[in-house]
Amino acid sequence: MKIKIIIPVIIATFACVAGLSPLATAAAAAPPAQVRIDQLSKDFEPVEFDHAGHVDMVGDCGECHHHTTGTSAKDPDCMRCHSSGATSERVACRDCHAPDPFSADHLKTTSEDRKRYHRDLLGLKGAYHRSCTGCHEASGGPTGCLDCHQRTEAGNALFRAGKYAPAPTDKASGH
Amino acid sequence: MKTHLATHGKVVDSHKRSADGAPWSLLEKLLLGMTPQQYIVQAVRNPFNWILALIFAIGLPLIAGRFFFGLSWVTHSSNDYPWGLFLGFGLFAMVPLSASGFMLGTTVEIFGRHDFKPIERLALLNGLLGYLFAVIYLLVDLGQPWRLPYPMVVSFGPAAVLFLVAWHVATYLSVQVAEVSSSFFEWIGWPAAKKFIRDITIGLTVAGIILSTLHQGALGALFTYAPGKVHPLWYSASFQWLFFFVSAIPAGLCMVIAVSTIARKTMAWRCDEEFKNNLDKLTISLAKGASMGLVTYFTIKTIGIAHDNEWGYLATGWGAWYMFEMAFGVLLPIAIFAWAIRNKSASLARLGAFITVAGIVLNRLNTALITFNWRLYQEIPHWREVIISLTIFAIYIVTYRFILYRLPILYEWKEEKVLVPETVSEPVQVHKPYQGSPEPVASYRTTD
Amino acid sequence: MSGISRRKFLTCTLVGAGATALSLKTTDAFASAKLEGYPDSMGVLVDLGRCVGCRSCEAACNREQQLPPPAQSFDDPSVFDQTFFNGQKRRTDEKAYTVVNRYEPAATEQPVYRKSQCNHCNEPACLTSCFVNAYTKTSEGAVIYNPNICVGCRNCMIACPFNMPAYSYSSATNPVIKKCIFCYDTRLKNGLPPACVEICPQQVMTFGHRKSLIEIAHERIKARPDRYIDHLYGEHEVGGTSWMYLAPAPFEEIGFDTTMTNEPIISNVKDFLGTVPMVLAIWPALFTGFHLLATRKHDIEQHGDDHSARKEEEKKS
Repeated sequence: MKIKIIIPVIIATFACVAGLSPLATAAAAAPPAQVRIDQLSKDFEPVEFDHAGHVDMVGDCGECHHHTTGTSAKDPDCMRCHSSGATSERVACRDCHAPDPFSADHLKTTSEDRKRYHRDLLGLKGAYHRSCTGCHEASGGPTGCLDCHQRTEAGNALFRAGKYAPAPTDKASGH
Repeated sequence: MKTHLATHGKVVDSHKRSADGAPWSLLEKLLLGMTPQQYIVQAVRNPFNWILALIFAIGLPLIAGRFFFGLSWVTHSSNDYPWGLFLGFGLFAMVPLSASGFMLGTTVEIFGRHDFKPIERLALLNGLLGYLFAVIYLLVDLGQPWRLPYPMVVSFGPAAVLFLVAWHVATYLSVQVAEVSSSFFEWIGWPAAKKFIRDITIGLTVAGIILSTLHQGALGALFTYAPGKVHPLWYSASFQWLFFFVSAIPAGLCMVIAVSTIARKTMAWRCDEEFKNNLDKLTISLAKGASMGLVTYFTIKTIGIAHDNEWGYLATGWGAWYMFEMAFGVLLPIAIFAWAIRNKSASLARLGAFITVAGIVLNRLNTALITFNWRLYQEIPHWREVIISLTIFAIYIVTYRFILYRLPILYEWKEEKVLVPETVSEPVQVHKPYQGSPEPVASYRTTD
Repeated sequence: MSGISRRKFLTCTLVGAGATALSLKTTDAFASAKLEGYPDSMGVLVDLGRCVGCRSCEAACNREQQLPPPAQSFDDPSVFDQTFFNGQKRRTDEKAYTVVNRYEPAATEQPVYRKSQCNHCNEPACLTSCFVNAYTKTSEGAVIYNPNICVGCRNCMIACPFNMPAYSYSSATNPVIKKCIFCYDTRLKNGLPPACVEICPQQVMTFGHRKSLIEIAHERIKARPDRYIDHLYGEHEVGGTSWMYLAPAPFEEIGFDTTMTNEPIISNVKDFLGTVPMVLAIWPALFTGFHLLATRKHDIEQHGDDHSARKEEEKKS
């Protein structure tokens, strides 16, 4: 009687744990099919990133995830330290690239930790854009801002675009 | 005025009417002894007044518009050229031309050259009005002119050269008002006030020299804030203030020659014998001083080029413009003055003086406007800015004329002349600087 | 001669000089050579190799500082083709505290985009030229401006070697200087990065302590010497600026003035300012001396005796 209860509980627990710990190790969990990127959700709509599609297109995880997913580093500068190609627990972009890289706390850690090597790390937003657009430019992917994420109303107001666009005049600004 | 004098005779030159010995009222003094109708008739008859009326008709509404609509209405709102004609001409050019005050004050009171006395008051008035109108130009140019007293009382930025300029111009204006006030007190009949001013004249004059040296130099030092922006031939990191100070000397002296020439020509009825008889002689003397100043200026400009090794710039387009400015504004007057002094030709000296004045204006406009931002682009001032600058200059001329018509500047107040023989107990041996100069009359003041 | 006696004159001069001397503070004579500014001030490193000209920074600044609407949308790239007066590109004005311009230097295939705004100098020329002390260099590094005392002389615009301050000429009643203030009031004071830095998708700008940024910049140059010109613009120019630049092409080809010295602007002015108290001290004695020398002889010739003795005589009679 008790075993009938215990075993499903154990299986359920394992399933929960496996499901809840996202991407615990690359080897243990499968990469997500979609990643919702919504850091700029005030001015831009969230991006539903087609991770599975990119896995197929790119092939080598290391192209985007550096050398955290089992492949070795390719850049000779990186290979100096990261030549072994070990996998890391932290694979998601946000695990290393802080969403708020210029907060007082983050600056404190990077400046006070004198032994830290990668103190000039991009923030999360910069990492997304510099990683993505570089490859897109080379391979013919979308490179325009609006190709990947539409603006919200607030975003249109910010950029004075769409219905917030100024009326066309002859006079140019700037002098 | 000439027609009026031909038919009606004397104007006010003493407290009492010569006809019946009764004193002139203040209104009569203001109207030069004429009735209001007579005054208006002579004013309307004068063609120069028609030109002035035209300028004021166009210019005064523009000045009002500057304050109603803001500087964007009268300038190009340039962020690259924040200073335009109001400062370039009204401040930077008019201030060195007003250096006559301290120059003649020093000559007469400090160095004791009383033979320059007939022209001293004109020089002091020239200085006062020039600075006063420089401040007026400034008030039109400032974004918030009602805040002009701020560097005096609200918030100090003493490291700024402009702070020095502001304080000095304010103080120097007071000094000049005091110096000119002695003629005002004569005219209005307050002898005690006049005596007070005469008692402190040496102090005022020394204060005037100190203040003038510093702010004439400071106006040049303002450009040391923008070392890359003024063309190197017009700029020197080390000597900019000296260039402006030294050139102010011939500027002031030549402006006195110029104004005295105009006064002699257009207001001969107002000039007394003392003034008329000594003017040519004094013009030559002023020309001597001016030519020394110009030679010195040319020398230090050349030293400046050598110091910064800028010879190469002379071969450029700007270099040609620089050489024109030097040739026309400095070397040509030197040559003219040399000829005039040698041949004792006052009229030639006057020509040299007018050219020098033009040359000084050209130099200041070059430094502040024309070669400023030489690496960017040229800016032509807005037409409203040009007209307003002209209008304010016309107001300056009108004010000048108003005062010269009335106050004892070009002539001596009779009461001052009469007093002296009573107090001098014996005939005075008078210093005669030139051979053949007329015997000065008893109006030569020895007992101030 | 006028009635002032030598005694009265000397007394007045000494009192005046004494008052002046008392009002001056004594300072360490070598202090200016050791001037280092605020050691913990913040700065921004602008890596122009990363900029793609999206103009999000201009938009963010406009929103943060509540600036008027621009003439064109911020996502309109046609602004890069605008020229004024003789080929000048856009510059900051009363409606835009920062602008991005496009350059096409020979050294790179892609165009280079350059963001310009107030560089928040360590020894700002605007601050030193202001005669009402309207500018302040805060300890965080921002050069901020007080519009409530500004008289509108515009000397700061003349002084700024980068031509950054703009003036709101369009206002008749309250024209003031308009320039980047490093988002001091809304962000920097609270330790936050400015709006333009935060919004930049390419992280062109890195916010941090100026000292760290200098290290980071040189490390970047060292790591990728093929990508950067070996110069950190603003590290030393005109005494050093808080906003510094790395570039993928020679700086003079992308709109920077490379003729600036490392001396702050005030060094030019100091020589004249130092002359001022000298003239104030020397001129009185010099010219009084001239006066006495020039006129005493005249008096003796004229009246056969000393001036002051004659005055005594006149007083008695």
